[in-house]
Amino acid sequence: MSTVALQTHGLSKSFAVKRKAAGLSGSLRSLWHPQWEEKVAVKRIDLKVDRGERVAFLGPNGAGKSTTIKMLTGILHPTSGEAEVLGLTPWRERTKLAFRIGAVFGQKSQLWYHLPPIDTFDLISRIYELKRSEYLARRADLIDRFELGPYLDIPVRKLSLGERMRCEIAVSFLHRPQLLFLDEPTIGLDVVVKQRIRELVLEANRVEGTTVFLTSHDAGDMEELCSRAVVIHHGGILLDAPVDRLKREVLSRKIISLTLSSSFEAGTLPDLPGTELMESEGRRLKLAVDLKQTGIESVVSALIGKFRLDDMTVEDPPMEEIITHIYGSGG
Amino acid sequence: MIDRKMQSVLSLKSKKAGAVATITLRQQLAYKTDFIMRSTFLLLILFVFVQLWSSAYEGDRTRIIDGYTLKQIIWYLVFTEAITMGVPSLCSLIENEVKNGDIAIRLIRPISYVGYHYAAYLAEAVFRFFIHLAVGSIIAWTFVGPPSFGWGWAGLFSLTLGAISIAFLLNMVVALCAFWVEETRGMEFVLHKLQFTVGGMLLPLDLMPEWLQRICSWLPFQAMLYFPARTAVNYGSASLLQQAAIQAGWIAVLAVCTVMMYRKGVAKLHVNGG
Amino acid sequence: MSTADNESRQAQTALGTLRFLLTCWKVNLASAMEYRLSFFLLAGMMFINNFMWLFFWSLFFHRFPVVNGWSLSDVMMLWAVGAGGFGWANMMFGNFHRIAPIVSGGQLDVYLSQPKPVLLHVLASRMSVTAAGDFLFGLAVYAWVGEHTLSGGLRFAAGLLISGLIFMGVMIIAGSFAFFFGNSEGIASQVFNSFVALSTYPADIFRSVAKVLLFTLVPAGFISYLPIGLLRDYNSGFVWQAAGMTVFLLAAGSLLFRAGLKRYTSGNAIAMRG
Repeated sequence: MSTVALQTHGLSKSFAVKRKAAGLSGSLRSLWHPQWEEKVAVKRIDLKVDRGERVAFLGPNGAGKSTTIKMLTGILHPTSGEAEVLGLTPWRERTKLAFRIGAVFGQKSQLWYHLPPIDTFDLISRIYELKRSEYLARRADLIDRFELGPYLDIPVRKLSLGERMRCEIAVSFLHRPQLLFLDEPTIGLDVVVKQRIRELVLEANRVEGTTVFLTSHDAGDMEELCSRAVVIHHGGILLDAPVDRLKREVLSRKIISLTLSSSFEAGTLPDLPGTELMESEGRRLKLAVDLKQTGIESVVSALIGKFRLDDMTVEDPPMEEIITHIYGSGG
Repeated sequence: MIDRKMQSVLSLKSKKAGAVATITLRQQLAYKTDFIMRSTFLLLILFVFVQLWSSAYEGDRTRIIDGYTLKQIIWYLVFTEAITMGVPSLCSLIENEVKNGDIAIRLIRPISYVGYHYAAYLAEAVFRFFIHLAVGSIIAWTFVGPPSFGWGWAGLFSLTLGAISIAFLLNMVVALCAFWVEETRGMEFVLHKLQFTVGGMLLPLDLMPEWLQRICSWLPFQAMLYFPARTAVNYGSASLLQQAAIQAGWIAVLAVCTVMMYRKGVAKLHVNGG
Repeated sequence: MSTADNESRQAQTALGTLRFLLTCWKVNLASAMEYRLSFFLLAGMMFINNFMWLFFWSLFFHRFPVVNGWSLSDVMMLWAVGAGGFGWANMMFGNFHRIAPIVSGGQLDVYLSQPKPVLLHVLASRMSVTAAGDFLFGLAVYAWVGEHTLSGGLRFAAGLLISGLIFMGVMIIAGSFAFFFGNSEGIASQVFNSFVALSTYPADIFRSVAKVLLFTLVPAGFISYLPIGLLRDYNSGFVWQAAGMTVFLLAAGSLLFRAGLKRYTSGNAIAMRG
């Protein structure tokens, strides 16, 4: 068995958009002589993902993330280029491939709205041609892991978004996909539910070796779920790096939050190279430290020497900032 | 050995279609008020037709006009209405799936797109056909008497499957235009108007002028409404086999069109967002 | 306050209301013109839709030249008066059949907060784009088979006025029930469809109880008898009754609406979503 889960060469997709002049005459003219404009959604993407990897596919709105996923799942046909997913060409062997992959689109429900989730489970088991006994065992296991017991017999329209999403992801695990595409799986969910869903996906990756390919707006999804990040912008790949390295290199800043035991007076901050005051309010202040200029230890010890502290945390800046930084330097 | 393998593949496929049909039906049951609304409207319209045709026949139950008694006309209309109202609106369904990108969750499944919709459509159409047939029968039975059509019933049911399949394919051909154009409602509208007139929905083709009958016989619409309804009330006035053959011919032609359009269309699909 | 003062105040309010209505219509027209192409397409589609019905009737009367005293031209004038009346009402007061959803959706707040007659404001706040097709269809059919004399023209205009106002009166009453019974949108749209359908069949095909109902509880008969009682064989008794029914429906509708306003709870929309 090949160790490659998916591979693309120069994968591109563009489509024609009708251009219409304003006004009635414009409308009529475009009816007889439509003017088309080519819009490039995805531009020559070369990508290789190994089995068992967890890849985050990041980029701003309209960067071509969803279009790429839809080409890799065989939903869309590319304009040019090649792709091989689990050894198959997605758009030519869509049905065959579909047996082996799973997909969750955060904004599109695959559950039947008026029916309880259990009905969708039954339907999916038939569509993927699962053996009855195998299906029942697998379902029991998923219900257990995703804690779906209480929701299974309630019509989907009455479930909360978080409950629904857990069902959505559980359904997509039913046929043991070797490769799972997640398109914005945590969109609109609260922190606790997000966390739970990440854990469940990680567990599947660990236990079943499922390859995970994920797009997200949420930096947390990438930080906690993925080992590798691919950033695309204007349809092309901007950066492809391990998440750790991304954090280490692109992110050379740390944020230190302090709570003093007495209120902070301006001008009392020790003079340290590469450290700047971001904000201060009463006893609280926030400092940004550039690690290229100074070590975190020296800053911390200087602060401890100067102030009486109630609390202190050191953390990474949010991933949004990192991505913005990459766009800034790359685009 | 190979035979058995084939058989098990076939049984898996039919179970797949069966599962799609079952879940469609169950979801349908959630729209009860919708059914009640449509059914009461059907009652009203059929009542109006009873009044209209009674006037046309001048209340004479024994009079035969172009092979139809009043009773046969009314039951004919019950059957055409049951088929027409049984057909769900594929165009809005497909157009929405293409427009808002829901087509994605159909295409990630190991099942043919057109096949999926056919299974779902068939379940809904057959179910709705029987409900409307039952509702319509109340009116017809009350005003013109019981449907003693003998073999006609066999004719009705055997031609109805073909009829709603033709309706599916005609609607699908129009619906698949959604891959190319933004609005398919206009074309769907034209299609419905054609069923309504040259399909014989309100008037059996036999009552139409010669020239129009000749045109109708070259179109697929008669096979969708006129064939089953006429055979039901006038069994034997035309060969069942011949009508079934005409239906099969149209199904073959339209199925080829549908598959070709789907292949061409899906290749140029682009889904909004991302 | 002197009577003269009072009168001038009233005249001013009436003038103000008229000016306000004119502005409403101007704004509606302007926004419809923003989507000219779809406007013309939809209006054209309605025109064709009505025309297909005439086609059906021409086939019907081809087989049965006179039915209970009605000939093809009478039914054509029925469609001219019905579609034309419906058309102008739906163009100028396009919300008349949407009161139920507006009330139960809690969308009256905007109208209630403004110093103009609420019902009138609601009615005039929408212009149906398809209705232009209905109205033009009415005029076209009149030009085709109508009586082109001064008296004929005036009677046709009176017919348009009566049919449009009856449609409005019935739907204002049906819509106002939403104030009293929460979710009556389905019922209102059902009344709408049934009433419109009923008004397009000759009044004289109905007998006994049905006919009595048609001129009392479901007063569609006052529209569907216009081609005979007003246009062909002027019958002053019928015309006075029709005018009386029109006034009664409008008065009952506005009283019911006013009574309903007292029970209006704008919170409905939020309650529904929760």
